[in-house]
Amino acid sequence: MNRIQIAATAATPEIDFDFAAHVLSLRGESYPENAQAFYGPVLAELEAYLATHTDRRITVNVQLAYFNSSSTKLLMSLFERLNTAALAGNSITLNWHYDEDDDTILEFGQEVADDNAALDFHAMALA
Amino acid sequence: MPLDSSAPAGSSGHVAGDLLESPITVASSNTNYDILELFTATPELGNIPVVNDGHPIGIINRNTFMSTLARPFHREIFGRKSCTAFMNPSPLIVDYHTPLTELSYLVLDIGEKGLSDGFLITSEGRYLGIGQGVSLMQALADQQAAKHRQMMESIHYASVIQQSFLQSSRRDMAGALSDYFMFWDPRDIVGGDYYYFVKRNDGFFVAVIDCTGHGVPGAFMTLIMASALKQVLTTHDLQEPAELLAAINRQVKESLGQLARDDLGGEDVRNEDMHSDDGMDCAFCWYHAPSRTLSYAGAKTPIFLLEENGDGIITIDGNRKGVGYVSTALDYRWDTHRVQLQPGTRLYICTDGIIDQIGGAKRICYGKKRFKESLLTHRHLPMAEQQHKLIQAFRQWQGENARRDDVSLFGVHIA
Repeated sequence: MNRIQIAATAATPEIDFDFAAHVLSLRGESYPENAQAFYGPVLAELEAYLATHTDRRITVNVQLAYFNSSSTKLLMSLFERLNTAALAGNSITLNWHYDEDDDTILEFGQEVADDNAALDFHAMALA
Repeated sequence: MPLDSSAPAGSSGHVAGDLLESPITVASSNTNYDILELFTATPELGNIPVVNDGHPIGIINRNTFMSTLARPFHREIFGRKSCTAFMNPSPLIVDYHTPLTELSYLVLDIGEKGLSDGFLITSEGRYLGIGQGVSLMQALADQQAAKHRQMMESIHYASVIQQSFLQSSRRDMAGALSDYFMFWDPRDIVGGDYYYFVKRNDGFFVAVIDCTGHGVPGAFMTLIMASALKQVLTTHDLQEPAELLAAINRQVKESLGQLARDDLGGEDVRNEDMHSDDGMDCAFCWYHAPSRTLSYAGAKTPIFLLEENGDGIITIDGNRKGVGYVSTALDYRWDTHRVQLQPGTRLYICTDGIIDQIGGAKRICYGKKRFKESLLTHRHLPMAEQQHKLIQAFRQWQGENARRDDVSLFGVHIA
């Protein structure tokens, strides 16, 4: 599987899905005009990767600053896919990095954790 | 020896021919001394086309020519020779009807020379005149400005339409409430935020709505939602906000075809082609004045209550499902929260454009915590002044950062 590396722009996050190392990172802001167009291909690759593993340690690092509502939906579906993969036997750690003064991002992380109980969720405050 | 430069018939739109200039031309029989004389006599002359019997041969650029001729002995050696010696023998030659956009790419392809030397304009291979790089840039800038103006005019007019949709709500609000504010500020002149207010003899109904998207697509969604809401209100009572949300959810999902597989009994015919997945987050409130009861149902939009002498803000969260989206079930039911309001209670509703705005020293979200602190700081001011202070604090947080979303904020002081 090819590694996905997409540099951050003002409206889209940096994505580094290193499938060979089983480390998936996503970081920055997300408010593209067409979120589906941005996340669609990424989700498709992710799904193909997850489909081939059932007993794997996978680390997911997320550090978001802002995301609009259409990105929220796609991010939620990304976490849902990870949750499904965790239920299928993989051990998936989700490291949720947030600024200690950013209650909005922390709250979003908690929602993600509530909705996807199979993920090993860690909220990590950045000072 | 300027040639006749009348435009060939049938030209329209923005084409290379619009940039046509007909300066003095020379033929390859002219010498470099002739050229020197022309450039010296006519200081504003930048480029001289070389044309033999109507056929374009090249362009002599002033700077190239003068600096080359100034080299040691060049004047003596080349003075009497043909002026083709220092000309650009392969200038860009374009037809009169070449569209400006195409022309600009052709000029960019040949690099700096395209801008300094300009390009020769022909019709059926015959020389007509020259176009200058700077004229091309001017024309492109004008074209861009005209397009921008046209688009902005259209958006400004769309804004007139969108605001006229809000007018009856504004009127009812002013008629029903005495101490309140409604701040509505789309990010891009028009937007996906919307509010709806109805005055009744025994109370009022207020909805603060954040449709998917902003700008023009967001504004489209507000119209779809407004019409869904109006239609639902013909068959449902506005005293049951949760039922209104459920009815709008059904209506929107069906009209936009945003049905999940489950909704269709396992049939996989959801709108795969269009991928539309639009809806709204909102807070719907009905306030029944005689019983002082507030009935609230929310889709990812909380309400904030501040009692006259209360210690802090009471936040009531709605359900975490938006209205109309593919992932929201067709028969999803929202919860109605009923609260009895003490006299003097203040109610605030905002869209996430306020909460999620990036700003501050660390460039993070404004957040509910800071928003609530701001509410507490200004709690005793008249509502109109509160709006001013709350928005001022929000803008201060935003600072130099771009606005991320549409912003709506409603506040009312209930006597």
